[in-house]
Amino acid sequence: MADIEKEAANKETVIDAHNISKVYNPDTIPVYAVNNVHLHLLKGEFTALVGPSGSGKTTLLNLIGGLDKPDSGNIYINGVDITQLSSGELIDFRLKNIGFVFQSFNLIPVLTAKENVEFIMLLQGANQSQRDIRIKQLFSQIQLEDKLDARPAQLSGGQQQRVAVARALASMPRFVLADEPTANLDSQSASNLLDIMAKLNEEEGITFLFSTHDQRVIDRARRVIRLVDGKIVSDSAAVATEHA
Amino acid sequence: MILMMAWRNIWRNKMRSLVIILSIALGLFAGISVLGLYQGMMKSRVRNVIDAEQSHLQIHNPNFKKDYEPKFVLPNGPSVLKMVDALPQVKASSPRSITNGMLATASGSSGVQINGVIPDMEYKTSQLKAKIIEGKPFDAARKNQVIIGKKLATRMKLKTGAKLVLTFTDTAGNLVSGAFRVAAIYRSDNAPLDEKNVYVNIKDLDNLLNIPGAFHEIAILLKNDGDVGQVQQLLKQKFPGYQVENWREISPETDLLVKTTDQYSYIIMVIIMFALAFGIINTMLMAILERTREIGMMVALGTTRIRIFLLILTETIFITITGTPIGIAAGWFIINYFNKHGLDVSGMGGEMMSSFGFGTMIYPEFPIGKLFGVLVIVISTALISCLFPAMKALRLRPSEALAR
Ligand SMILES: Nc1ncnc2c1ncn2[C@@H]1O[C@H](COP(=O)(O)OP(=O)(O)O)[C@@H](O)[C@H]1O
Ligand SMILES: [Mg+2]
Repeated sequence: MADIEKEAANKETVIDAHNISKVYNPDTIPVYAVNNVHLHLLKGEFTALVGPSGSGKTTLLNLIGGLDKPDSGNIYINGVDITQLSSGELIDFRLKNIGFVFQSFNLIPVLTAKENVEFIMLLQGANQSQRDIRIKQLFSQIQLEDKLDARPAQLSGGQQQRVAVARALASMPRFVLADEPTANLDSQSASNLLDIMAKLNEEEGITFLFSTHDQRVIDRARRVIRLVDGKIVSDSAAVATEHA
Repeated sequence: MILMMAWRNIWRNKMRSLVIILSIALGLFAGISVLGLYQGMMKSRVRNVIDAEQSHLQIHNPNFKKDYEPKFVLPNGPSVLKMVDALPQVKASSPRSITNGMLATASGSSGVQINGVIPDMEYKTSQLKAKIIEGKPFDAARKNQVIIGKKLATRMKLKTGAKLVLTFTDTAGNLVSGAFRVAAIYRSDNAPLDEKNVYVNIKDLDNLLNIPGAFHEIAILLKNDGDVGQVQQLLKQKFPGYQVENWREISPETDLLVKTTDQYSYIIMVIIMFALAFGIINTMLMAILERTREIGMMVALGTTRIRIFLLILTETIFITITGTPIGIAAGWFIINYFNKHGLDVSGMGGEMMSSFGFGTMIYPEFPIGKLFGVLVIVISTALISCLFPAMKALRLRPSEALAR
């Protein structure tokens, strides 16, 4: 009984993308950055989007994150078709539903680590005590309690990315999108960041979708989606389903 | 948090921000100095008009000023004068007989306005005695003395003691003339008036005009500038049928000058700010171009465009209002210095100043009354100059900005 409930909860769909395509330079030399992609992501998944440089990872993440609009197809996030939202509505939607970690220059340089995280909560209108509690919790999870007042420039690349993860989670999003979060990190920092992300996934059920072309990172993923020339060429979830 | 971010953002490029803050300070300093100079000049011009030329109020026969016909004397002049002098607000008054005529010497002639005055009363009202630069004031024992202005004396090559003839018409329309001797030469800050006005004893003039004991004008100097309106009303009530004018009405060009100068000073301020606006726009544009990625990231995270706009607006306003007190303080210091010591412009166009009725010493005044207007102009400049850079920032697409 408990198992069935847990199974049902885990199966809750957070991202459902149908036939999405994005073409750059359609009038000159068209580039099919994302070509007719279907993507179905469940709550609690820890998924790597893998592919060589130029395969369309960033473009696909931007589409799912509502930073860009597809030329065709629909993207449902928790039942809402975000391709139908205006850019103003999208800003609000992103704030409430999606956490972002980018490849580099993630943080606002004039704000301290703590203020960077607090910034999102202020945008959401959280009050002082809510913010204090959450900040304490998040910085303990990313193991940077001693760097609250450091400016981004005073933090290492790995520490900056961990603060970025904390900020992504501060808004209590439905899922976190991370575009090559380890690309600029040494392997020690990369594995450290992955540890934290994996732990958050296991213990708090946070849904992660991250892109990478680093094999060591791929090895940590529980589901791997391979992208070549804007097309999904393999999906370990689909394979698993087939084998089941 | 926007305030804090804006403040810190300004100091990311210290040099650039300092340059623009200082140029705003400098612009404001220049603007305020000009305003202060103008205000000081206007104030002294008004003081001249009141203290040395027209006094606060003048009373005439309503027909007199049309053609300056000598027959239109002030009815019951002496009793009117007595009542005026009895008013507590009145500091001094001077009755004058006035006619236009011709001044002739052996070598030439010139049109003049001849003012017959009671010396002691005139001295207290228009400071005629203090303006004398050569010769001696009227001597009660002598008849037919005249005091002429420096400009006229120079043009007519007249020295003290020289003889001249004044010719004009009397009340009956007969041409009359009298021989006068130059007792003194005066100089005021208003060269055109000096060239036109000559002063004689009222008795000598009244005899020639054939209006013994009468006069055409009473000039009234008050103790307080603020009493003008009230006293004017009072006199109008007491003497209906008389023409009672205040200095603004007597000298509308001075009133106009004061008003247009006010407008001019605002226009100058706007021009200075217009130039500064380009500096501000340029600075903010650079600041935003440098931060394209960062702004894109903020939008991606869910920062509304309104907030981005507010951030840029706040940064612009901070830069502007940091420069403002510096500029105002600098302006205050320089104006106060020259207000105490005076700014001597005789070396640069003093001649011209005098021909417009200005003294050659200017005592600038801090334009406290215009400060609000100046601040409105400065803040509007900041608002307007942040619009274009803000537009640029708001048009950023987050996916593109992040790709930079
Ligand atoms: N703004 C753009 N304009 C034109 N082409 C683009 C743009 N962004 C990406 N592309 C092209 O789309 C393809 C996919 O790019 P991208 O999504 O960045 O791949 P990845 O993140 O996997 O390296 C590439 O061929 C790239 O050159
Ligand atoms: Mg990429």
